[in-house]
Amino acid sequence: MIAAAQNELDSDLQFGPPGSARVTLRGHLNARTAAACWNDLDERLRGAKIQKLEVDADGLEFCDGGGLALLRYLSMGLMTPEATVSVHGLSTGLEQLFQGFTLDDYKALRPSSSVKCHPLPEEVGNGVRQAASDLREQVEFLGSVARNLLPTIMDRKRMRWVEVRRVFEAAGANAVPIVSLVSILVGLIIAFESTQTLAKFGAQIYVVNMIGIIMVRELGPLLAAVLLAGRSGSAFAAELGTMKVNEELDALQTFGLDPIRFLVVQRIVAALLLTPLLAIYATFLGVTGGVLVAFSLGFKWSLIFHQLTASLRLTDIAFGVTKGVAFGAIVSAVGCLRGLQTQEGPSAVGVSTTRAVVTSIVLIVIADAVFSILFFALKL
Amino acid sequence: MSDTPEIIISVRNLKVGYGDSVILQNINFEVECGEVFVILGGSGSGKSTLLKNLIGLYQPLEGEIWIEGTNLVTAAGDERRSLLRKFGVAYQSGALFGSMTVLENVRLPLDELTALPEPLKELTALAKLKLVGLGAAVQKMPAELSGGMQKRAAIARAMALDPRILFLDEPSAGLDPVTSADLDLLITELAHHFGITFVIVTHELASINKIADRVIMLDNRARTIVAEGQPAQLRDSSDPWVHRFFNREPDAVASGLHL
Repeated sequence: MIAAAQNELDSDLQFGPPGSARVTLRGHLNARTAAACWNDLDERLRGAKIQKLEVDADGLEFCDGGGLALLRYLSMGLMTPEATVSVHGLSTGLEQLFQGFTLDDYKALRPSSSVKCHPLPEEVGNGVRQAASDLREQVEFLGSVARNLLPTIMDRKRMRWVEVRRVFEAAGANAVPIVSLVSILVGLIIAFESTQTLAKFGAQIYVVNMIGIIMVRELGPLLAAVLLAGRSGSAFAAELGTMKVNEELDALQTFGLDPIRFLVVQRIVAALLLTPLLAIYATFLGVTGGVLVAFSLGFKWSLIFHQLTASLRLTDIAFGVTKGVAFGAIVSAVGCLRGLQTQEGPSAVGVSTTRAVVTSIVLIVIADAVFSILFFALKL
Repeated sequence: MSDTPEIIISVRNLKVGYGDSVILQNINFEVECGEVFVILGGSGSGKSTLLKNLIGLYQPLEGEIWIEGTNLVTAAGDERRSLLRKFGVAYQSGALFGSMTVLENVRLPLDELTALPEPLKELTALAKLKLVGLGAAVQKMPAELSGGMQKRAAIARAMALDPRILFLDEPSAGLDPVTSADLDLLITELAHHFGITFVIVTHELASINKIADRVIMLDNRARTIVAEGQPAQLRDSSDPWVHRFFNREPDAVASGLHL
């Protein structure tokens, strides 16, 4: 059947009477020898003016799929478009295989290489429609959450506080180390960089006032929220997305259980309870970082403490905590929504996770800006 | 064809398992060139584990697997690579790459492992897809295909490099009887026309009777081969477990089911 002694191909191209040529193939025509043979034929045959090409495969001992592809390519006239090509000498088995795929098949099956290109108005229209339907889904989701939040919390049997506790631990307690590290470093860095400028005015002590205001009103809640988005918003999207892919959400619905009541409310409640604590903790450590810088500059503890208490009002702290709660709502709701929106396919959960984090961070920054304007207008 | 058939796989004293837990031991069998060889067994009998050892994904605890004169267990480097090139494997779930079209899936091994020029790669891949009857689906993504089409695409991909041996893991699991029969037909045609050796893991009785030249049967209590032969021989076996399996009788005592 297969001569294993010599796995080489002996190919020969001869130009006969004007306009005709003959290819003789002997030995093993496999993927390796076919590639070499192709290079030779491509160089000498393509472009040559030939009306008649004969392929003699009488001496072939072995021919695999790659070899057959070469024979087909020749016989379909793809290398010599103007010639009539005949292939002969194939063994009966090979002949049968060879006939199993014809030029018509090739033309019918070959994928069209043109990449679909939509005109600009169509692209813009699709984009707008996509954005509108996304917005609609978000509003629907928010409405559904708002309608379900209170009734679910009131219903002790449905609320599943165990789940809230689990999320609280995973998203809160386990996040303490990273929140600590990031907050204290950010506090240190900002204080350290600003002392350089303040030193020119001899106003280094005001670094304490500055870090107090920045951390309490802005960065504490923001850092907590961004870390929550990265750690837990993504986890919510991945959890719910995997459940959707595994048809677990469908299973819930066939029991008559609403995924929003069963899965989303718990996560949002946990995040709402969690973020004020996380924001206060991040603020505290950020301020500590600033205070350490001030202390290292030689200021007394009493002076630092006095500056801090003098610069911060209770409304500032309330402002920070309020923002923290709002950010928590955004992160958890977006994470759950993106999870529920997960599509089919192997990369769907990854896409949902990415979208959850990106949307969360964008919305957090927008909300932060809105809060700043709002509190300025209210003169708080 | 000569009278003494060529042996393509020879397994000797194979012992497979994970760490300390032995799943199968004293496994001895030979597969002849060009036959359809079926590994049969109930759920949890170690069929898939045995298959993964045969294709070199897992290292057996003991024993030898000879493929055309080379021991897969001890082969390393280039020797092992050239041995693995003789295998084509179609996994239970198809294992098609979800981010590529069906054609790109079949082209992948050709692109990565051969020096064929572009048009020949495409021709080869298209011819394989036509062979398994997927001509109309070359441009589709795996997620758009039905279960049977995915399995056929997986077989086309496994055949891309013209392997000597095709390993199929539960080819007809989860398919309707008609699709399953189509697949059986495809397997027998490939085996008889192209001389490809098939090693198939399954527990579908209907297809075993149609496609198998020879069968070995594994048992999870004995942890070894309990029967070997042609399907007809096994059907008339005196072994109670083999008899129950082939006649679809329940094993009420073992499962503790007392109605």
